[in-house]
Amino acid sequence: MNESQHLSSQFDEELGRLRTHVLQMGGLVETQVSAAIDAYSSGEISSVKTIVETDRRINELEKAIDDDCAHVIAKRQPAASDLRLVLGISKIVTDLERAGDEAKKIAKGVRRIYEAGHMPAQYGIGIRHLAEAALAMVRQSLDAFARIDAVQAKAVIRADSDVDTEFKSIIRQLITHMMEDPRTITTSIEIISIARAIERIGDHAKNVAEQVVFVVEGRDIRHDKEAIK
Amino acid sequence: MSAQLLQAFLIALSTAVVAFPVGYFWAQWAGWMVFCVGLGLQLLFHFRNFARLERWSRSPVVDASLEGEGAWDGVFGRLYRHEKDLRAQIAQRDEEIRMLVAAAQALTDGIVILDLSNQIIFCNTMAEVQLGLKLATDRGQPVVNLVRRPEFVAYLQAGMFDRPLTLRPERGEERVLAIHVIPYAGRRRLLQVKDITQADRLDQTRRDFVANVSHELRTPLTVLAGFLETLQEIDVGPDERHRYLEMMADQSARMRSIVQDLLTLSSIESAPPPENDVVDMANLIDKLRRDAEALSSGRHNIVVESDGRGDLLGAEPELVSAFSNLVANAVRYTPAGGTVRIQWKATPQGAEFAVQDNGIGIDPKHIPRLVERFYRVDRGRSRDSGGTGLGLAIVKHSLNRHQALLEIKSEPGVGSRFAARFPASRVAGI
Repeated sequence: MNESQHLSSQFDEELGRLRTHVLQMGGLVETQVSAAIDAYSSGEISSVKTIVETDRRINELEKAIDDDCAHVIAKRQPAASDLRLVLGISKIVTDLERAGDEAKKIAKGVRRIYEAGHMPAQYGIGIRHLAEAALAMVRQSLDAFARIDAVQAKAVIRADSDVDTEFKSIIRQLITHMMEDPRTITTSIEIISIARAIERIGDHAKNVAEQVVFVVEGRDIRHDKEAIK
Repeated sequence: MSAQLLQAFLIALSTAVVAFPVGYFWAQWAGWMVFCVGLGLQLLFHFRNFARLERWSRSPVVDASLEGEGAWDGVFGRLYRHEKDLRAQIAQRDEEIRMLVAAAQALTDGIVILDLSNQIIFCNTMAEVQLGLKLATDRGQPVVNLVRRPEFVAYLQAGMFDRPLTLRPERGEERVLAIHVIPYAGRRRLLQVKDITQADRLDQTRRDFVANVSHELRTPLTVLAGFLETLQEIDVGPDERHRYLEMMADQSARMRSIVQDLLTLSSIESAPPPENDVVDMANLIDKLRRDAEALSSGRHNIVVESDGRGDLLGAEPELVSAFSNLVANAVRYTPAGGTVRIQWKATPQGAEFAVQDNGIGIDPKHIPRLVERFYRVDRGRSRDSGGTGLGLAIVKHSLNRHQALLEIKSEPGVGSRFAARFPASRVAGI
């Protein structure tokens, strides 16, 4: 990126800083998601409070980065790849912030389940597996953004359908549970909303990856199944 | 230099000496002509050498030697030698750098070199694995773009490097890393990444052990003390009194068995290597089956799968206690109506003793820690069923002393299989 030397290297520095800030925000989101899932597996609901508080920091970062983007556009009037980078960043932070919200939702759901005295253990493995797949997508999409690597970004986009399939199979499994034993319905519904949140995190990772492809190739591949093949 | 100047002057002079008689005796223009031709020839000679130098300088290769004529020869020679020396020096430096990089690659710790703005200058393969970096693509990238854990970012920014940072990286499954940052040469930072997963786990195990021993002993002790106090302070009827004493006896028996198991464990640990007595397996398995049937009292189906061939070499009491522990566990954790299979198979390559059940099974996440002392999958249940929490630890130690491996396979709701694999050197009679 930005290999063509800009007249002012200060501009390069600004763009570099912007990227680092986005990745820092991404790092926070990654940590949030894995903390939420850890809370789900371990039942340590004391961490839920930390997760909810950290989410505020993510929200602030989103606003700050968006502000920086507006400043860069107004001050530097970037063109071509630089403009795409700034535009991409302002969309990526939106998705990251939403992924953070989903993590918060998971944490709160976990708290409700454990506070009601239920153990989601028997659904644990499927959810954990789903969460690991979604987390890997987030990580890889951020790596792709750090390395400006469209190939990896496309791999992330393709991985999304696996997460979707797994999500559906968890739902089917939960429905069977609920039909067999109506007492599990309350817990099962909470778990469905957790699974849904994880699946949404995967979607947000996919959106980030799509923006990376946009930054690199200048093509908008959203809603375009052919483009990623 | 002056020699060359003199030479050039002499050549010009000799041309003049030849040209002067021609101009004097024949015609003046002819004299000038000869002089010019002479000088022109010399110019041509110089130009030819210049062209050679020019051609060589475009791609100064040392194998095509640079040769000049006349005054040029010396100059070219020196230039050529200089170039050659320089190349040899560069090759030597290259070799030295290669060796240094190879040394960095050979380190068992991860190494990342950063500049002052934390951009990656170099990292070794170990660091690539530990932190998920790729030197080929990540050189010049701020390291925080790729290692994004907030605590790591905060640690780098704070700049207080007197204590290492303990990091559980996202990508490294269950790894624990200790990161030291060492500023050096004024403009560089060395990131040293140590994998302390093992040490961390050991530490955890030790802490758990102390906590568990105290907990396991305190529980029955509390019960004992409670009853004692009651008996001292309140006058209870003989029936009640008898019931209390019975419960106290139960609890003290429990404490005794915990202490007994701890002693067994420490004696196994410190004992000399087991002798090579022949252990009659057919006999032993028959005894195990009878014990299992007694323990199960008809609630389980006990099956022996053995062709009765082959014996083990080792200390009989230890092997008996290890095997009966496995069998007792299987009976204990299999609901009534289940099947417990005692399997024995010896081949010249080694032998396997296994106990397979179709009981409640174990979640995979517990399996690695199952043989730890006092590790309990479900705190309440195993104590109810009378375990001390030391059984599998004793099994593992006894087997280790016989160079055997304990292999645990289990699936919740499907059942478990505990197999002890003995090497060929421990097998007899086959």
